[in-house]
Amino acid sequence: MDWIAMGTGFTLILMGLYGALTNRNILRIIVSFTVADTGVNLVLVAVGYMHGRTAPILDEAVSAAQAVTRIIDPVPQALVLTAIVIGLGVTALMLTYAYKLYEVKGILDISKCKDLKW
Amino acid sequence: MVSPIYIIAGGLGAAFLLGLLPAKWRTFAYGITLATLAFMSWVAGSWLYAFAVNGALPVEIFTAGTQPPFAINLRVGLAEAALALLMTLTGLHAALYMKDTLFKQGRQAMAILLIFIMALCGVVFTRDLFNLFVFMELVMISTGGLVLLSSDQRALGAGIKYLIVSQLISMLMLIGIVFAYHATGTLNIDGMAAAHINLFKGGSLAFFLIFMAVVAELKPFPANGWGLDIYESAHPAFSALFSVATGGATLYAVDKLLLIGGAQWLPMASAIGIVTFIAANLFALVQTNDRRLLGYSSVAQIGLIFTVMGQQDILGERYYFIAGGILLAHAVAKAGLFWLSGLVKQRQLTDWAALRSQPLLVFAFVTFIALLVGLPPFPGFYAKWDLAHLLAADGRLWLLGLILFGALLEAAYLFRWFGYIIKREGSEAGLALQPMKVDATLGAVVVAWLLAYLWGQLSGHGNLLHAIPLLFALLFLPLEWLPAKVKNIMAIAGLVGWFYLSYPSYDAFQLIFAAVMLPGGALILLASFQTQQRRVGFYPAAMLMFAGLSMLIVAKGSFDFFAAWETLTVGSYFLILRGKHSEPHALSYLVFSLGGAFLILAGFALAAQGVMDFQIAALAQVAKPFAPWVFALLAIGFMTKTASVGVHIWLPGAHAEAETDVSPMVSGILLKAGLFGLFVLLMTMGKQQLYGVELTHVMLWIGAISALVGNLLAIFQEDAKRLLAYSSVGQMGYALFGLALMNHLGWLMALMFVINHYIYKSMLFLSVGGVAKRTGTREMYRMGGLITLMPLSFIATLIGIIAVSGVPPLSGFGGRWIFYNAIMTADYRLPMVIIFLAGPIAFLYLFRLIHTVFLGQLKDEFRKIKEAPFWIILPQMIFVAALMVFALVPGVALRKVDVYLSQFFAGNGHLNWEGLTISSDFGYWNPVAIMVIIGVIFSTLFAWLLFVNRKAQPVKQFNIVFAAERPFRPETTHYAWNFFAPYRKALGFLTQPLVTRFWEAVTELLHSAAEVLRRIYTGNGQTYAIHLLAFVVVVYLLWMGGSDGI
Amino acid sequence: MKIPWALLTLFIVINYGLLMTALVQKIGARVGRRHGIPIWQNYIDLLKNYGLRTSITHGVMFYLGPVFRLSGGVGLLLFVPSIYGSEMFSNFSFAGDLILALYFVFFGTLGMALGAAESGHPYAAIGITRGLSQMTAAELPFALAVFAVALQYQTLSVTDIVAAQQGSILNWTLFTNPFAVAAAMLSFLGSMMRPPFDVVLAPQEVPIGPPTEYHSSFLALMQTNRVLFPVAKIVIYMNLFFGGAANWPVFFLKVFLIYMVSAFVGVVFPRFRVEQSIRWFLIWAVPLGIIAVVRV
Repeated sequence: MDWIAMGTGFTLILMGLYGALTNRNILRIIVSFTVADTGVNLVLVAVGYMHGRTAPILDEAVSAAQAVTRIIDPVPQALVLTAIVIGLGVTALMLTYAYKLYEVKGILDISKCKDLKW
Repeated sequence: MVSPIYIIAGGLGAAFLLGLLPAKWRTFAYGITLATLAFMSWVAGSWLYAFAVNGALPVEIFTAGTQPPFAINLRVGLAEAALALLMTLTGLHAALYMKDTLFKQGRQAMAILLIFIMALCGVVFTRDLFNLFVFMELVMISTGGLVLLSSDQRALGAGIKYLIVSQLISMLMLIGIVFAYHATGTLNIDGMAAAHINLFKGGSLAFFLIFMAVVAELKPFPANGWGLDIYESAHPAFSALFSVATGGATLYAVDKLLLIGGAQWLPMASAIGIVTFIAANLFALVQTNDRRLLGYSSVAQIGLIFTVMGQQDILGERYYFIAGGILLAHAVAKAGLFWLSGLVKQRQLTDWAALRSQPLLVFAFVTFIALLVGLPPFPGFYAKWDLAHLLAADGRLWLLGLILFGALLEAAYLFRWFGYIIKREGSEAGLALQPMKVDATLGAVVVAWLLAYLWGQLSGHGNLLHAIPLLFALLFLPLEWLPAKVKNIMAIAGLVGWFYLSYPSYDAFQLIFAAVMLPGGALILLASFQTQQRRVGFYPAAMLMFAGLSMLIVAKGSFDFFAAWETLTVGSYFLILRGKHSEPHALSYLVFSLGGAFLILAGFALAAQGVMDFQIAALAQVAKPFAPWVFALLAIGFMTKTASVGVHIWLPGAHAEAETDVSPMVSGILLKAGLFGLFVLLMTMGKQQLYGVELTHVMLWIGAISALVGNLLAIFQEDAKRLLAYSSVGQMGYALFGLALMNHLGWLMALMFVINHYIYKSMLFLSVGGVAKRTGTREMYRMGGLITLMPLSFIATLIGIIAVSGVPPLSGFGGRWIFYNAIMTADYRLPMVIIFLAGPIAFLYLFRLIHTVFLGQLKDEFRKIKEAPFWIILPQMIFVAALMVFALVPGVALRKVDVYLSQFFAGNGHLNWEGLTISSDFGYWNPVAIMVIIGVIFSTLFAWLLFVNRKAQPVKQFNIVFAAERPFRPETTHYAWNFFAPYRKALGFLTQPLVTRFWEAVTELLHSAAEVLRRIYTGNGQTYAIHLLAFVVVVYLLWMGGSDGI
Repeated sequence: MKIPWALLTLFIVINYGLLMTALVQKIGARVGRRHGIPIWQNYIDLLKNYGLRTSITHGVMFYLGPVFRLSGGVGLLLFVPSIYGSEMFSNFSFAGDLILALYFVFFGTLGMALGAAESGHPYAAIGITRGLSQMTAAELPFALAVFAVALQYQTLSVTDIVAAQQGSILNWTLFTNPFAVAAAMLSFLGSMMRPPFDVVLAPQEVPIGPPTEYHSSFLALMQTNRVLFPVAKIVIYMNLFFGGAANWPVFFLKVFLIYMVSAFVGVVFPRFRVEQSIRWFLIWAVPLGIIAVVRV
């Protein structure tokens, strides 16, 4: 199962990158990046997965004593959570930029933001 | 002591607090911001003090109450505290600097600023890989916010490009982190380092991704277009932060990562760093926008530090001294320059000429570029020295060469910029001065000098800021408000006094140079009494040059020698730049001189083989494989100063365009520094062979060709000072030739040239300068017939040209006599052909000089002209007297050195000084007898003629024999323009400006390459993203290909 | 005492020079199928010019020009020993060696150039530029030859060089170092103000070159030099290359013969322009000098 998640994750990353690099509309670029972000998160989770183990929650099913052998590594999952939050922040910031750009210059085309170069 | 965690906690807490405040409490919010930043700086500063002075141990901070790897830990040591102080202080100044903007944007902006600084501190402190990621993302997001503070609308585009690229970066990093974690089972950096990540399957790839992600934040070439756009468009205070704080923090992050990766990743760091360093400096050459140029320079400097990081395996304990020196120099300078750019209204480099109305700001600018270039006494200088030595000791010469090349490019564009400031049109209206901003900038200047002092203390070479001559020169900076005449008295007193104090410690050889440089300089300074008002900038520059010279002649160690060399180079550059039209010439002087200085540095480094306090005398013991290379590097370096052919093209312009009293200094005195260097080189290293070629033989040819080319070019000049300048090229060629003869008399002749050339060239330059002052032109054909109006100038010129030409009875003849005796024992005879040809050519330009200026037809517009000012005449008359004395009794100066030189040639070939006759193995010469005989013949004939023609009256100018026509205008009768037309027909082909063309082609090539290559920065955000991906892929392929897949 | 003997030398040489130059002029005229001047013509000219009084001067340097010129000639003569082996006629050669003589040649040239230039006459200046230009190339082979000779005899003392050539005619530098002598003799042609290298004075196109403005006693001084200076110069040649002279008759003969070389060439060849003569010296004479220097 984990290789499917991994494969899907990388596919999503590539799709996202492709979208981000080929679309000129900034909104589409942002969407592409969220797709890629999702892919990254999927990869993260997939890396942390171990066969035959359960979620890293200590309750009646898994006692603290058994935890080392029965649960999967919780760290990647924690990382994913943080990454999602950060991804949200970045996406919000990019959207703000897109909004401002449209407000000030009336464009959403990345290829038209070339007044700074060389 | 407050725990360092409060640096982060304080920033974070205050940022949250700001969010809770009512939007209208701007002043309060601003107060909180400042207070927080001050608090953070104070904590960082107190820890820095604790680590540096009290020797406290690094502090480990554990969060969540557990040890790593189960919780995040932070560590603060000396380097972390220093960086934190740097970043928080820059942040504080940025907040002060951006006061208006922050008030306008309100508390959110202030909060973002706090978050930004806090996150950077986090990047530095954290020892956890994922935490590093989080802090870096925070930096990125707050960067995105702060870019918006700019009033420049283009910043929007820059911000979005940045965000696109940083999305890629964070993906790389996340994937890398998780796989690295997978491989090692820990996120702790030290834990990973202990786990040897490269041993795990896929581990090195994971590390590669993390590494690339962080390196990409360093804006490596070519994946750095986004960074440049931000530099160009963001608020200057933020650009400063972005360059200083982000750069510093990211570099430190990379340093931590290298702990994980280990030594095999170091070469990659160096490779990326050096490519970035050179490419960015190259592209900066063609920039006209100030902030973009600063951006390129930032990128370059960070590339340089990255290069140094890659060399940490050989830098050892000097690693932090070197990297820190470059980093801090870069930080202070870049912050200062960005802040300065906020004071200038327009964005072209030439618009900075407005700064000229504020000498203090000009001084600030000079300080900053000196910091960046690494001139003494700033930290970069010490760092450069150590770096060069360690690189050379390990045989990493290619890298050393590339670093020096890049540094030369950087110096070229920075000093070109300085030239614009001093020389271009500009008015005060181009400045937008605000006290707060000015204070921030001047604060950076103070820090710069403090750092200079600190690095001097740490260097282990002796602090340059303890050198009395240098301090004396710097003393003139705060005294600039005094009238020039007072400063002139001080300067003269300083030179003479220092000579008096040092006199007992000089040996005969040093004494000759010291006499020419110190009392000789004081003599020329007499002419400076002529100037009026305050003459801002002249004295610090002149005294800096003299300080360098006086330190040079007594230098024992190679470090002292090199420091003195750079000091005098910089001082003389400022001096030359003062001339009215000398902007391009001063620049070319500086570039050649610094290029030469870098060669000298490389030569010393190669010779030292890692010995840090290398003695000049130890050059004699340099072993075989290095010795000829050391010799060649040093010789070429010194020859840039003596303007030998090939590297002579800076001289004519620099000497000709300089001010009246500066020309004699830079010609009569400064050129001798090069001769001194060559002397020292030959005295210690003697003859060297490279691939079977005797290097002194090559020098012999270079000297001969310089003599020919210099003299030949001199005769075709219309400009009197240019003529003299080219003549210097020729004269120095003679001196070089004498040195390269490698025999006793050759050296003695070179020493005689030191004295002679000083006297007559100073005299001629002063005389011509006085004439130019009165006539308002330097074109000789526009003058003529000035002999009756300016008789004293004429006498000085007459005596001068007789002396230069070597005609007896004046002192020039002594030089020729020794020369002929010297070549009698020379090993090589063919170069003599060239030098014999060069000799008589001197008559041509000398005659031209005196004829077209003083003889021939007086022009109508000059009929009422007066003699040159008293203070310009006075030193000339002293020179005339000195020349006469030296002609009569050359033994006064030469006898002792003659004995001194005997030690180098086992006593062979020295002169005999019996009574008044001087004799060598081949001939003899009695200066007094010659003078008396000629004097008697001359005065007898003169008296007789005077008696016979006692009634003769001077007739009018046009009372001359003309067939069939009558001259009616002096202009048409004064034969002066294109004086040696037949000579041009016969030998003009030898004066093709091949060397000039060569160097122009090199410059042109660099500029066009930069112009073409920088077009990869298309301005399109997606292109930049592709650059980044391509960068990662290419580095991966090269790396994996190069190291068989670690 | 040296001074009376030196004055005697001067007297002898001036008279010899006056007669010899007139004789050479006469020979030249006869070659051109003219009658030529009487042999004492130079005395007449000189006396006339010394007798003339002028009230015209163009300034101090103008005044000093002829003084420089003649001082140069006299000095040159007196710094070199005239008669080998004679203490009386060794003149002031104790003051300096060959190098002194070589450089003192320029003393008069330079002073003369300065004086002529102050007259403000463009022809004077033109003549000087031509003269100086030509000199740079013409002196080169001579300098090389001198260097070769000095190397050959390992001394710069004129007396020692002459001493080394004594004994047999085959000991003359002419035979021991023919390339040096050839180079020097070609150079000699250039410094004698005779065709094909007389464009400096260029009697047809420019009135008379540098001396254009000079007259009366000024000119007289220069005329004195014109007879003195070539002899002084030839003495150096004679000493360096042709074994010197042990007595006055040999002196007269050798000087005359050496002088005739330039006169001989002069009557045969037309005049070079300056750039032509520069190239000529560089192409034909300098290589000989280089060979001489390298072969020693």
